[in-house]
Amino acid sequence: MAPPAQSQRSPSPSQPSGKGEVSDLKSQLRQLAGSRAPGVDDSKRDLFKKVISYMTVGIDVSSVFGEMVMCSATSDIVLKKMCYLYVGNYAKVNPDLALLTINFLQRDCKDEDPMIRGLALRSLCSLRVANLVEYLVGPLGSSLKDSNSYVRMVAVIGVLKLYHISAATCIDADFPAMLKHLLLNDPDTQVIANCLATLQEIWTLEASISEEASREREALISKPIIYYFLNRMKEFSEWAQSLVLELVAKYVPSDSNEIFDIMNLLEDRLQHANGAVVLATIKLFLQLTLSMTDVHQQVYERIKAPLLTLVSSGSPEQSFAVLSHLHLLVMRAPILFSSDYKHFYCQYNEPFYVKKLKLEMLTAVANESNTYEIVTELCEYAANVDIPMARESIRAVGKIALQQYDVNAIVDRLLQFLEMEKDYVTAETLVLVKDLLRKYPQWSQDCIAVVGNISSNNVQEPKAKAALIWMLGEYSQDMHDAPYILESLIENWEDEHSSEVRLHLLTAVMKCFFKRPPETQKALGDALAAGLADFHQDVHDRALLYYRLLQYNVTVAERVVNPPKQAVSVFADTQSSEIKDRIFDEFNSLSVVYQKPSYMFTDKEHRGPFEFSDELGNLSIGVDAADTVVPAQQVDANDKDLLLSTSEKEDGRALSSNGTAYSAPLYDAPASVPASQIQSDLVNLTSGLPGHMPAASLAIDDLLGLGLSVTAAPAPAPSPPSLSLNPKAVLDPGTFQQKWRQLPISLTQEFSVSPQGIAALISPQALLRHMQGDSVHCIASGGQSPNFKFFFFAQKAEESSNFLVECIINTSTAKAHVKIKADDQSMSQTFSTLFQSALSKFGVQ
Amino acid sequence: MPPLMGIEFLCRVADVLADYLGGLNEDQIKDNFVIVYELLDEMIDNGFPLTTEPNILREMIAAPNIVSKMLSVVTGNSSNVNETLPAATALCVPWRTSDPKYANNEVYVDLVEEMDAIINRDGTLVKCEIYGEVQVNSHLSGLPDLTLSFANPSILDDVRFHPCVRYRPWESHQILSFVPPDGQFRLMSYRVKKLKSIPLYLKPQLTSDAGTCRLSLLVGMRNDPGKTIDSIDVQFQLPPCISNADLSSNCGTVNILSNKTCSWIIGRIPKDKAPSLSGTLVLESGLQRLHVFPTFQLRFRIMGIALSGLQIDKLDLKNLPHRPYKGFRALTRAGHYEVRA
Repeated sequence: MAPPAQSQRSPSPSQPSGKGEVSDLKSQLRQLAGSRAPGVDDSKRDLFKKVISYMTVGIDVSSVFGEMVMCSATSDIVLKKMCYLYVGNYAKVNPDLALLTINFLQRDCKDEDPMIRGLALRSLCSLRVANLVEYLVGPLGSSLKDSNSYVRMVAVIGVLKLYHISAATCIDADFPAMLKHLLLNDPDTQVIANCLATLQEIWTLEASISEEASREREALISKPIIYYFLNRMKEFSEWAQSLVLELVAKYVPSDSNEIFDIMNLLEDRLQHANGAVVLATIKLFLQLTLSMTDVHQQVYERIKAPLLTLVSSGSPEQSFAVLSHLHLLVMRAPILFSSDYKHFYCQYNEPFYVKKLKLEMLTAVANESNTYEIVTELCEYAANVDIPMARESIRAVGKIALQQYDVNAIVDRLLQFLEMEKDYVTAETLVLVKDLLRKYPQWSQDCIAVVGNISSNNVQEPKAKAALIWMLGEYSQDMHDAPYILESLIENWEDEHSSEVRLHLLTAVMKCFFKRPPETQKALGDALAAGLADFHQDVHDRALLYYRLLQYNVTVAERVVNPPKQAVSVFADTQSSEIKDRIFDEFNSLSVVYQKPSYMFTDKEHRGPFEFSDELGNLSIGVDAADTVVPAQQVDANDKDLLLSTSEKEDGRALSSNGTAYSAPLYDAPASVPASQIQSDLVNLTSGLPGHMPAASLAIDDLLGLGLSVTAAPAPAPSPPSLSLNPKAVLDPGTFQQKWRQLPISLTQEFSVSPQGIAALISPQALLRHMQGDSVHCIASGGQSPNFKFFFFAQKAEESSNFLVECIINTSTAKAHVKIKADDQSMSQTFSTLFQSALSKFGVQ
Repeated sequence: MPPLMGIEFLCRVADVLADYLGGLNEDQIKDNFVIVYELLDEMIDNGFPLTTEPNILREMIAAPNIVSKMLSVVTGNSSNVNETLPAATALCVPWRTSDPKYANNEVYVDLVEEMDAIINRDGTLVKCEIYGEVQVNSHLSGLPDLTLSFANPSILDDVRFHPCVRYRPWESHQILSFVPPDGQFRLMSYRVKKLKSIPLYLKPQLTSDAGTCRLSLLVGMRNDPGKTIDSIDVQFQLPPCISNADLSSNCGTVNILSNKTCSWIIGRIPKDKAPSLSGTLVLESGLQRLHVFPTFQLRFRIMGIALSGLQIDKLDLKNLPHRPYKGFRALTRAGHYEVRA
């Protein structure tokens, strides 16, 4: 809250220089400190105001610290507030002085006015001085039990502040447990909301070092707690509602009835005046229905209207944030929005960033029925005053043409653009016409007729010029004066600054030469000479290559430079579908606004709570591309629906919710390749080899007899039931991720890896193959030496009980750190032993 | 963090500050920095939004109004913070001040609509939509329970409510049932799309030849709404390739600003003549014809009517000691109302 006082700005001449004023203030404050005369509060107030205003403009007033503290003995709450503000601002840089304030803050924490209690506690927690935390614990503990909700509310946040100053003190005082109690029992919803926020933050940070914390963190998304929140939803403030909705979005309901109950309960949240609540609700609905294709589409229909309303109300910034989300949805399911295209028409006054998003959406929703209107609209923008907008519109028209709708009419329009004789319009259009010709060579006659009329002098932008030159070369037989235009361009070789244009010029003149040799010969000679003398390495090399090719054999040169071309069918997409899915998973966050998944713009330590999905996503799926042999049975359920990319996930989740046979349709995204199936096939191939006797068939007794180097071997259960694993276990990444989130950690161990094992662990893949031999399958792996990270899973032979393992191997210390989660907790110890033995054999055989 | 949470919160802070300080600019913040600090202190703590309801804030921190300044002078008690904590935080209607008392009970309901439209140069309507709000200003004692119903709720395409509105009655009967906050608030916002009629037309004509361009604009009423249209003005950006412009009109004033924005303020349409603007634009040398065209933005205001056709049927009040005064108003103004040339 307080301004940064550390950044001392040099005071401008008009401002008081500070020094004299401050000492003046000091003496005045000192006079007032002891006085009890009536009206003293007013004069104090004026002085305090001055101090604060100096502080705000960056003058260092820390020298009056002592006097301020002395003056703080007052009943006037505004004075107190100003004093707290001052203290909070300077305590961090003056820890010694801060000690002075502890006394009076602690006294205020026991004031009879709850407001003063709350404010004092807030200030006390905001001092952020590490060696004062001991004074914090007492007041915090009693404030958490305060009868006034305002004080409790402040205290809960205070716990979080304490945690950030000294995590150990906070944990030792058992504050998280007290917060948990408040979370479930406090009558005041704001207290509950603060507890939730605080606990989420603390447990997430603790989860990496403490099992209990990660268990607690997962307990937050258990059914009773979620229902407790849902039932009180309406009592929460709008901000707390968004927080709770975020939490509920992580909950995985057990069946579809539950999903419908939640959605019915929350449907009115879509009508909330606060956009944050609306978006959080939308995210929840989308997440809940991922596995139900029909309902998912209904959700799209349902959320359309609220989103469009949000766009049209509020500031441009709000519209932009909402539009970004709408953009994401439109890109996923353009067909569902194709009738709403008019909403994406741009208004003249809107900021450019809003317009640009709208244009992209217009491009996406274009189909047979609305292309004419959309393109007409885009042409309006192209003719408008706003130049960047005109450029974007022309590009959009081109993109629609490449989507194959109504190409005929669009080509006509594009050619009309060329006749507008505006430099930037011509430039953009030329680039597009070039792309169009690469895709639809049949239009060359029409285009060439118009392009031929363009004077190359009017085209200045490198990209456009390159496009024009490309067309001159490619269609030189149809363009009457192509050789002469090229020749004049070559004459001005020296003035051409863009290497891209020069490269194109070389190629174009070569192509022209093959078609009309007598007319081009001289130009070619000039071009090669100029190219060889060029200072740009690429241009020089290309000229040299052409020169030698021509020397060697002209027909070969033609085959190399001007082979018959195939029309381009699809232009490459800039973002992979995987990344788009990840952005969708992070709906209602900045990822959508930036159009990047969060790991691209956040540091690891700043990831939000529940970041497991990030971890898993960062790791490569543990199968080499070469191994990707697809069993035919997997492709059967390839029902074509609108939401192709969505359904690929849905089917994955369907497995977990109703346990049907595995039937994920297979698309090009590598994430959807069921790693386990392929690996189990590999197991079949290798299990015949002597060195790879599957551990699955070994009884546990045998394994225990192997004499392992166990560093921390807890006493085994009295009579461990024997465990055999299913060598053909199957689990898709979606289910794994879900289970990993739900299950508590049942075992954490660390053991050493044999030196041979370390030597063999050059890449993650090596270990994967080895572990498959023991019926332990990898679902994801990653990392580089010295740290490797793996996610494994295994299944019991008879029943579908799963073991999930996170294994981090550090090759420099030769240690493996293993976390095991299991459906059947009682077996996890047995499994751990088995896992360890499998790992210990790595590299030995 | 959810992006809208941040943006909405900032908007809320701006609203609250503007409400407290009677406007929002650098000077006002500087003059009242103590209040600003106090407000921020209550509104956000360690990154979590806390209390943002203006009514509750008002109970915790008094606004710097004339009355409190007077009081402080007279009584010598200058604290602008209430001694007690607001009780509403514990109530089930957190948006309402605990127990306001008014001598005159009154409630005003305003329909404020903004019309967004895009009209092509040949006069065809490309898109026309209305964004409207129901604004209520309530000064009612105690805990009143209000029911507002519309004559034709079916025309609404999408609605958003203040948290005080109960959802079920709306779902079943399209009635707004609520316990209002005290003072001015936005009860509901709505959208009406696919409108067919517009109140004003603007006919632009641009003919260019040999380096000059003749421009003429004609503004007139279409589908007379039955109420006077006032505050009409037209704004447009001259294309950058125009070096000189000479424009005149038969009514209202025409200004051309340095950034080539031209504004034509008409006010009301006179009875006897149709407002028109004409003149010549001189193009930069070398250009023969104009290739980029301006977009004309029309602004207007119509008092007394909601152009979407939405009508309030009745407003019932329960839980009140006296018969209150009820007032209704409607207003339509142009939002993004643009005509292309």
